[in-house]
Amino acid sequence: MRLQVKNVNMRFGKHVALQNVHASSDGGKVVAVLGPNASGKTTLLRTIAGLLLPTNGQIELDGANVHKIKPHDLASKISWVPRVAEVAGSFSIQRVVELGRYALGPSPNRVESALEQVDLLERRDSLWHTASAGMKQRTAFARALAQRTPGGLFVLDEPSSALDLHHLKSMGNNLRHCAEEGDIVVAALHDIAFAMEIADEVIVLKAGKVALAGKTDAVLTPSSLGGVFGVDLTWAMDDAGKRHLVLP
Amino acid sequence: MKSRSFFSIIFLSILLVGAVIIRLLITRSAEGIISLEYPDKQFLMYRLVPIVASMIVGAGLGVSGMGLQVLLRNPLASPWILGLSSGAGLGVMATMYFEYTFEFSYFGSQSVGAIVGALLSLLCVYVLSRRRGGIDPMSMVLVGVVVSVLCGAGIMIFQHAVPMGLRGAFTTWLMGSIPEVESWWRLLIFAFTTLLGIIAVSYWGPTLDAACLSDDEAKSVGVNLPQIRKKLFITSSLLASIGVLLAGPIAFVGLIAPHGARLFLGGSHRTLTIATALCGALLLVCADDIRQLIDFGSGRLPIGIVTSIFGGIVFLFLLLNNRGRV
Repeated sequence: MRLQVKNVNMRFGKHVALQNVHASSDGGKVVAVLGPNASGKTTLLRTIAGLLLPTNGQIELDGANVHKIKPHDLASKISWVPRVAEVAGSFSIQRVVELGRYALGPSPNRVESALEQVDLLERRDSLWHTASAGMKQRTAFARALAQRTPGGLFVLDEPSSALDLHHLKSMGNNLRHCAEEGDIVVAALHDIAFAMEIADEVIVLKAGKVALAGKTDAVLTPSSLGGVFGVDLTWAMDDAGKRHLVLP
Repeated sequence: MKSRSFFSIIFLSILLVGAVIIRLLITRSAEGIISLEYPDKQFLMYRLVPIVASMIVGAGLGVSGMGLQVLLRNPLASPWILGLSSGAGLGVMATMYFEYTFEFSYFGSQSVGAIVGALLSLLCVYVLSRRRGGIDPMSMVLVGVVVSVLCGAGIMIFQHAVPMGLRGAFTTWLMGSIPEVESWWRLLIFAFTTLLGIIAVSYWGPTLDAACLSDDEAKSVGVNLPQIRKKLFITSSLLASIGVLLAGPIAFVGLIAPHGARLFLGGSHRTLTIATALCGALLLVCADDIRQLIDFGSGRLPIGIVTSIFGGIVFLFLLLNNRGRV
């Protein structure tokens, strides 16, 4: 599968959220989208996932415009994890995960496997509205895992903001596994260390424009990233000799 | 169907049968003594008609309320919030006024007035709450409230315009009352339409479940949101219109019945729709039972007062319980 973002512009009234955004990626890659607050990360991801129609430009999956694909068919190609998941109603965690199979038909095995992957198998009968923020985030991730078709597009908007270290590590492994199965994983992240850990490529947005893009190692350097965020960054070595970007 | 859902529906059905039997047997003597006895043949129709009408109105209003709660993602939504009941009310008031002024009366003219009023308010809400080709739930709530207020003002104008003698009939209708005399053909048509509406909403159950996710999430799992919103909007409005046509503006049943059903069944809308219809029917038959017991010397209480008193208390309870979520 090939994802192409072609000259995408997005305006909300007079506010320009995205300006001339170009990007592309192939199956098997994890792409991290980074940038300061209000730089257009969520808008770009919603546009890529076919949830928001751009003012100009288009998103193509294998040459097909995602905004012209019927909702039912789109569900088999793109899985979406929002920053904050919402459910109005009295549903169990398992039922929320099952909703990922709405368009694709029920699959108890996929649902059970997804619940297991996010460590929620034993809590599957708990009610959604009583769950913690981290559990809700894992539930939304599990729903997308139950929905995803290997080799498709997996779009996540800050999926790890409420996760503890154990579940963050687990999510990273799951996303890498999805990429190994041929998915294009596109995730907006604030955690630079996590992005360095899982991403093959990085797109850095600033004020709705692509400020930096390329291989993770090439893009995530103290000088380039520090310039975008307006802070001084430096490298630090851990005991294993691995480099990390840190605030001095 | 899971065993819990099955037994809940059986349980609600048994309660409904019990309430129907009580309504059939409950008798109030001229001295005000209450007893349970099988009615004479000539009075049987006067009991069967309100029982059937209560079940149609209650089930329809309940499912209508459930549909609107999903549509607006708001547990406090009901047919009232769309201004639909007020629109139908204005239609009936206008018909009564013109019947009086121009001295005409046709069979079913008030029904036509109610339908036209409901459809016009529906059209206003639908047109004014459209955003980017779909219905925006928040705009719909705001437009619904405005339409409701405007229709309320229209009702007051007609009330003010008629002579004192006719104002009593206006006020009685506005209180909501279950008919004791009604054409069986009309009841049959309403029952059939209500049943079709309930079956349709139940059939859309899995889509309603997925529509409970946020807009982005629902779209991403494959829900055609504009389509299901249109379907729900029209079906909920139709069911509520039937309720207003048969019994006038009866408050709170559309709000309480879905919440009552959720106590038994949880969130899955395929079975929840059936349970909500049963709960709505049960609520209205019970309210009709209760009103047989209360007489302040000026006749039995209109059913709308009974549902308003109990519904108001439950509404307050829901409001306080949902303060953090609504």
